[in-house]
Amino acid sequence: MKLLHLYHDIMNLYGEYANISAMERILKKSGIECQTDKLSIGDNAELSEYDFIYIGSGTERNQKAVLEDFRKYTITLKSYIDSGKVILMTGNSFEMLGGRITDASGTEFEGIGIADFSVKEQNKKRNTSDAIFKADFSDKELVGFINKCSEIFGIDTPLFDVLMGLGNKVDDDKEGIRINNLFGTHLTGPILIKNPYFLEYIANLVAGKEKEISTKHLGFEKTGYEVTLNALCRAGAGAVPALSVRN
Amino acid sequence: MKLFLTILICRFLRFIGKLMGKGSSLPGKIALKLCPDILDRVKLPEYIIAVTGSNGKTSTVEMIAHILTENGKSVAWNKEGSNQIEGVTTLILANSTLSGRVRNDILLIESDERFARYTFKHITPTHYVITNLYRDQLTRNGHPEWVADAISDSIRDNTQLILNADDPLVSVFGKDRDNVIWFGADRLESDTEECTGMYDDGVYCPVCKKFMRYSSRHYAHIGHYKCTNCGYKRHDTDYTVTSVDLDKGLAVIDGKYDISLALKSLYNIYNILAAFTVASVVGIDKGKTAENLSNYVMKNGRVVNFTIGKRHGTLLTAKHENSISYDQSIKLAASEKSGCDVMFIVDAVSRKYFTSDVSWLWDINFDMLNCENVHKIILSGKYCNDLAVRFSYTDIPRDKIKIFEDIKKAYDFLNSDREEYIYTITCFSDKGKFLTLL
Repeated sequence: MKLLHLYHDIMNLYGEYANISAMERILKKSGIECQTDKLSIGDNAELSEYDFIYIGSGTERNQKAVLEDFRKYTITLKSYIDSGKVILMTGNSFEMLGGRITDASGTEFEGIGIADFSVKEQNKKRNTSDAIFKADFSDKELVGFINKCSEIFGIDTPLFDVLMGLGNKVDDDKEGIRINNLFGTHLTGPILIKNPYFLEYIANLVAGKEKEISTKHLGFEKTGYEVTLNALCRAGAGAVPALSVRN
Repeated sequence: MKLFLTILICRFLRFIGKLMGKGSSLPGKIALKLCPDILDRVKLPEYIIAVTGSNGKTSTVEMIAHILTENGKSVAWNKEGSNQIEGVTTLILANSTLSGRVRNDILLIESDERFARYTFKHITPTHYVITNLYRDQLTRNGHPEWVADAISDSIRDNTQLILNADDPLVSVFGKDRDNVIWFGADRLESDTEECTGMYDDGVYCPVCKKFMRYSSRHYAHIGHYKCTNCGYKRHDTDYTVTSVDLDKGLAVIDGKYDISLALKSLYNIYNILAAFTVASVVGIDKGKTAENLSNYVMKNGRVVNFTIGKRHGTLLTAKHENSISYDQSIKLAASEKSGCDVMFIVDAVSRKYFTSDVSWLWDINFDMLNCENVHKIILSGKYCNDLAVRFSYTDIPRDKIKIFEDIKKAYDFLNSDREEYIYTITCFSDKGKFLTLL
């Protein structure tokens, strides 16, 4: 199988390269041969050759620089998504999929238009938060961190319910976007390391029905996940009623 | 009268606070409530030196204060590191006469990089040192460019900037300003051509976002860079580290001022160079400054020597959520030729804020420990599982690694008849949990 870490050197703010490392390891541990390509601005990736694509988060300025390059993939990315192949986009990378991004100065940048949403940035306050999200495809919540300065309007197919943290816009209890097997979320950092059950779910989609995914190697990951989930539930209890049942 | 009363109250509160061992930001906070324009009303000294940046602020400020004091200057500075506007207000009022005149020759301010814009709305520094901009506490700082924008808002036209020429993001502040003082290091023997960290924040030009090239890297994105597109490049330096021998513990500034290093890291040398630069700007003799800096051991408790049974060790305070700080401590431990054990503690990620985010572990280059000098590696604290996962992605042999969630058990493991030197690497938030066991 072929994995692609796209914009690896510019959209990589929070140790996010580890997402691709985690995918590579779980496939290999499951007996599936795979290789990872790292490509960036100026390269021409043949998206249809890949079985998994990952793009991470960048500074607001880096995202705009990447957007100019990313535009060339509009058609090939659309067919990649339509074919049901898996792509994960974390942090502000998935904001490029929408209609437009308006930066803090009011300048508008046209998105690649695969989805219909719009993004508005500001430069006054960094919106950060620990996060617990619930997905409809798993009984295991996701944990992580959000670090952004934007709000996203008009997403019809969100990825997560927000139990703790920040949604797509202020006071939104929905977060991220899902289109077929495209997963976009503002959870940043190595979320596939931190969320071994989410990794398992995604790896199953990548591997397909014929191949079985092995999770035997994920012992420390699973314990680490429980420690974080419990710590966040304790921290969030009271403020977040849905969490207090865990205490 | 309002000024007089506010200063009186602030000094009284400071006095009580000191007796009770409380922090120094509350008196300033109350003073600002009583008299919001208090900082505009006080009479400040001839030199107002501010220091900001991601890493090294506290150490740089301490060294500047040390040199200036040794040379007969009277310095008011925020020793306790209360570096937001409240702490700075306490500092100023505590050193003022009741008529509102700061009594010292020099006001030296360590300033939080994100809050400097509020502090320097009221106070205009005569000199403003910006040390570096790294990935630091991203859970509250966003990212380095976000911080750079915040610092940019704090820079006043009539302030003279003192900038690290080797940091491309910091050097942007000096663009189109003509009275900047630049410090940096010449090509050093330890330099590399490629970035040796887990990530490279120097790939793209901070001005035009096209490719930059480095002719030499000191560490991370710190080095000699030039943009292939817009020509933005490292500025020539006014104060320069011309050579470094970390084995011998010697740095040379401007080709003739030898400084013996108490802490043998490149990172520390930048703090020394920044302090040297400020001292020179204030008019202290360079030879004397070099003497004052030689073998200077920081009093801020970030390096603590200890013994466990018969074994000797050093606690190196790295900052959680700051991979460059960890990389530098790891490099220091890995260079221990007589052999060492290295212990990491991640128990509370942050001291001030609750967060469970350990993304920063993935930005640290732990593979530097994969060398003969390092014997055992001990992972400890509540987040030891995350550390264990991180280490499973290094090439370090598994049998070198010991994992103890309980810090006391890790301590007991170290309290053995092994002979290796011990390095304990952790953060302010966790170091006390180790030091109380000694």
